[in-house]
Amino acid sequence: MSLTALGAAIAAFTGIGAGIGISIATAKATDAVARQPEADGKIMKLLLLGCALAEATAIYGFVIAIMIILFS
Amino acid sequence: MKELLTELLMEDKTLIHVPFGNGFFDICNSVVVTWIFMAIIIAVILFLTHDLKVHNISKRQAALESAVMFLRGAVSGMLGEEAAGYTDYIVTVLFFIGLSNMVGLFGFTPPTMDLNVTIALSVMSIILVESAGFLRKGPKGYIKHFAEPMAVVAPMNVLELVIRPLSLCMRLFGNILGATVIMELIKHVVPVVLPAALSLYFDLFDGAIQAYVFCFLTSLYIKEAVE
Repeated sequence: MSLTALGAAIAAFTGIGAGIGISIATAKATDAVARQPEADGKIMKLLLLGCALAEATAIYGFVIAIMIILFS
Repeated sequence: MKELLTELLMEDKTLIHVPFGNGFFDICNSVVVTWIFMAIIIAVILFLTHDLKVHNISKRQAALESAVMFLRGAVSGMLGEEAAGYTDYIVTVLFFIGLSNMVGLFGFTPPTMDLNVTIALSVMSIILVESAGFLRKGPKGYIKHFAEPMAVVAPMNVLELVIRPLSLCMRLFGNILGATVIMELIKHVVPVVLPAALSLYFDLFDGAIQAYVFCFLTSLYIKEAVE
């Protein structure tokens, strides 16, 4: 059981990548809106797309962690 | 922890057993919740659309018209001019996923927490994307577009046929499941007050964002396919 928990915890490390990715994307979007406030609709769209793609890695990690816990 | 996950994922999701042939035809929980949705949505639509007029419109019709125009405008903006014909499908899917994600507020299990539902939705999306490309380019052009921009990337383009629906369905399923698991854990630790505040984020905000992301990605793929 302890090794299973360890494996799930390691799978949860995917959250690091997603967090860094989303924070970089948000920082750049804030920059872009500050420079060109009139383009915020387009920037918002692109930001949401980027966040969804970056967040997918964290979700994969979560799904794998659940699989490790359930099927071990 | 494991008991909670087993309870959420592995429980028997069958709600109704219909005798069928030698055994049973099982109807899942998610299907029944979807039926309830359908009944509610059809009732609302019938109420909103009965006796529509051209002149002297009522307040109800004015609200309906502006809501429809807003949704269509938002979605066809994502689709672009060439694929504007697919707007209504995307709006329907947006409605369905948005409602399914938020139904946790009323104590139902969200249908999108069932992997079967998200798989069906993403398969529908990829079939729509590919057939849009096929109708636009014709058989020859459709085969050719796999080898764009270079012939070397053809395997990657073929792989995308599988990867796109997989990531669409896993993203939706994982997000809703994650939100539900976290909510259950919080309900174990703090049974009052805190779950209400957090369910505002997890059920309403996250559900709306995920519905939007699903439709946004689908319409992006369609737009790319008909270019």
